[in-house]
Amino acid sequence: MKSLVALIKREYLEHRGAFLYAPGVILGIMTLVLVFGIASNRFQMHQEIGVPSALKFFEFGFLAVAALWSMYLLAALFFYYADAFSADRRNNAMLFWKSMPVSDFKVLASKSLAGMTILPALIFAAYLITGVLIYVVTMITAMMLPRLGVPGIFEFLSSGFQIAAFAFVCLVTALLWYAPFFAWVGALSTVFRRWSIPLAFLIPGLVGLAENLIFNDTGPRAGYVLNYLNERLKFGADNLHLEREIFADAQFNAMAMIPRFLATVDWAQLVGGLIVAALLVYAASEYRRRIVAT
Amino acid sequence: MNDLAQTTAAPIVSARGLKKHFGRTEILHGLDFDIPAGRIYGLVGHNGAGKTTTLNALLGLTSYEGTVRVLGEDPYQKRASLMQNVAFISDVASLPRFLRVRELFALLTNIHPNFDQAKARGFLEGTDVKMDARIKNLSKGMIAQLHLAVVMAIDAKLLVLDEPTLGLDITYRKRFYRRLLEDYMTEERTLLITTHQVDEIEFMLSDIMFIRDGELILHMQMETVSSKFSQVLVRPDQVAAATALGPIYSETRFGQTAMVFDGVDRDRLAPFGEVTTPTLSDLFVALMQRGPAK
Repeated sequence: MKSLVALIKREYLEHRGAFLYAPGVILGIMTLVLVFGIASNRFQMHQEIGVPSALKFFEFGFLAVAALWSMYLLAALFFYYADAFSADRRNNAMLFWKSMPVSDFKVLASKSLAGMTILPALIFAAYLITGVLIYVVTMITAMMLPRLGVPGIFEFLSSGFQIAAFAFVCLVTALLWYAPFFAWVGALSTVFRRWSIPLAFLIPGLVGLAENLIFNDTGPRAGYVLNYLNERLKFGADNLHLEREIFADAQFNAMAMIPRFLATVDWAQLVGGLIVAALLVYAASEYRRRIVAT
Repeated sequence: MNDLAQTTAAPIVSARGLKKHFGRTEILHGLDFDIPAGRIYGLVGHNGAGKTTTLNALLGLTSYEGTVRVLGEDPYQKRASLMQNVAFISDVASLPRFLRVRELFALLTNIHPNFDQAKARGFLEGTDVKMDARIKNLSKGMIAQLHLAVVMAIDAKLLVLDEPTLGLDITYRKRFYRRLLEDYMTEERTLLITTHQVDEIEFMLSDIMFIRDGELILHMQMETVSSKFSQVLVRPDQVAAATALGPIYSETRFGQTAMVFDGVDRDRLAPFGEVTTPTLSDLFVALMQRGPAK
């Protein structure tokens, strides 16, 4: 267990650029823009905005950045898995890690777990910090549009906590939902290195094309494979109609939203996907064990 | 061909019928050898002779045919557990370059149960390698020093070095081997080393193995080498008589003829000229051009 944690830490050290420094730079730029806007009095809010209160403005902003950070995280993780599974070969460090008393499966499992734990946690921390910026923007907006009112700090904190809790549950579920896709590109990377990125799309596309050519007109439009993948890529949060919750008068209620969200998840697909992900990581580790290390 | 040490203790390394194919090409042609504990072995061969493939098989880095046991285990099936008691350097450039030295030590402390961080720090005292230095910023010589400090801080029964000083200048090479002898070979450990600079390691070897085109052509203790092989700088008027005794190798350098004899009594050779023990490099050149030593 100690060695597994150390190997996960190694992943953090190797890939902190995309998960610590880059989000830090993004936050820094956002803060600079905000400070510059305040200092130069450039904030203008002459038009009415369609939210009933400053608190709702904050909730809307905090949820919107959750979506943006989630997109950043999923993209970063895709490239992380495409890189991490072959990084030891690319860095010429394979022989060093093979001289350690850890199996190839443990090494790849640590890479997979890092992408599911410490690395998303860093992005989530960046998201929480963004909440402070959203709060500042909300306060400025409330001063410019007195109709919105200025709620107390505890109301903000309560809303922030509710939304962060909801975003956290969505994030964890999304990571588990997309785990087989990450494992797929990771396993391809073990064999094809950087070419795993186009191949991750090309191989399913070719399989779908072959299905359409061979079994023409016998299945659904575009074929079973591409239809399945299309459905499998859709995530539960898409069907929640969050705007209704945002534009309602009541404060965002995570305790009500989380069960609603969890009810939209196809748990059989999620568990099946995790099994596929584990099998892909195992297959990749067996390939890694067999290649002559160079 | 073999002068295997007679010992009742189980050998550290045992190979029987070790073969390796790359595609249809057989690289190793059924090697048989034992390496007893507490010896310093040199494995010498020309480029492509099969040295690294042999070491890779012993270290569990590649599959093979035949039987190999290292510390009683099948290295290909049990590489991870075996590495608790086996340390190796297969490429001095294989240290993870994204880490700082202290980060590397901290990780190894948790990954390798037999790694002693205090020892590693001690080995680096007096060198130019600083704990806060990034490995990618170190010179090749400093990386070699760091890698040696890492493996010497691992309490291993077997240390395997594959061209550990490749690309280093003579100063670093000499320092590398001196530290290895003075700081590491103080307990009963076994060392297996390959290098092209055989003359530089000759003083420390207890046993030597020559490999040519995937076959062992010499495997004997160094004391036996000096009693079995002789080199004579033959006077010009004695060349014909010396040739009649069947040298295994003859070469004329700057007007002097040097001949290497296998198993010929030195008293019989003395009348032809100065009799010495051939250096390993002279013996290597001699044996690469004839059949196995009898």
